[in-house]
Amino acid sequence: MAGRFTRRLAAIGRRAHVRWKRFRKYGFLSDNEARGQVLLREWLSPGQLAQYDEHGYFDVTGCQSGKRYRIREGVGMNVYELDAFGGALGGWCFVPKDNLVAGDVMLAQKIALETSEQIALLVARRFPARWTRHP
Amino acid sequence: MATHIVMDRNGDSRHTFDAKDTAALLKAERRFHELMKGGYTAAVRSATGQPTVIRNFDPKAEETLFFPRLVGG
Repeated sequence: MAGRFTRRLAAIGRRAHVRWKRFRKYGFLSDNEARGQVLLREWLSPGQLAQYDEHGYFDVTGCQSGKRYRIREGVGMNVYELDAFGGALGGWCFVPKDNLVAGDVMLAQKIALETSEQIALLVARRFPARWTRHP
Repeated sequence: MATHIVMDRNGDSRHTFDAKDTAALLKAERRFHELMKGGYTAAVRSATGQPTVIRNFDPKAEETLFFPRLVGG
């Protein structure tokens, strides 16, 4: 009887610990959003992951032009072309056709710029940057 | 085990299969072609983590990621 109670208590403790760890890492994100974050983190390079953890954005290099782009947290109007000093030259808006969570959108944008930059920019719409220096 | 990761509204759906099992491999190849027909882009990672877009089914790929067609926002 006591053994069963202890096991049940331990199971509750384990579940609570997992939830607490998840909350500490992803806050109030839904399961879907958290899943998107996990996938994004799996595919970011170590440098991009460190930058994302510190600033909430990461930089990618366009595979064809060698230009640098900054992908900020978001599901649209979140990709900026950078100048040599890290200032924004302008924004590029392109997103996956379906409604996806932020992590998925950012990952699709990263892969597109790193593997088929010109195709991504062909479909993208330009928008003015909302910041120029020191974001 | 190999995995196909398909981005969707739930974050993603993961389909694992044994690449040594012919039936599972055929099913995975069918899934690959259906997704490509649906406008998805397939990407794999190199050992260094660099993504590469693939146009044909790679039975040796451990992890293939699919994301929907990109459109201007």
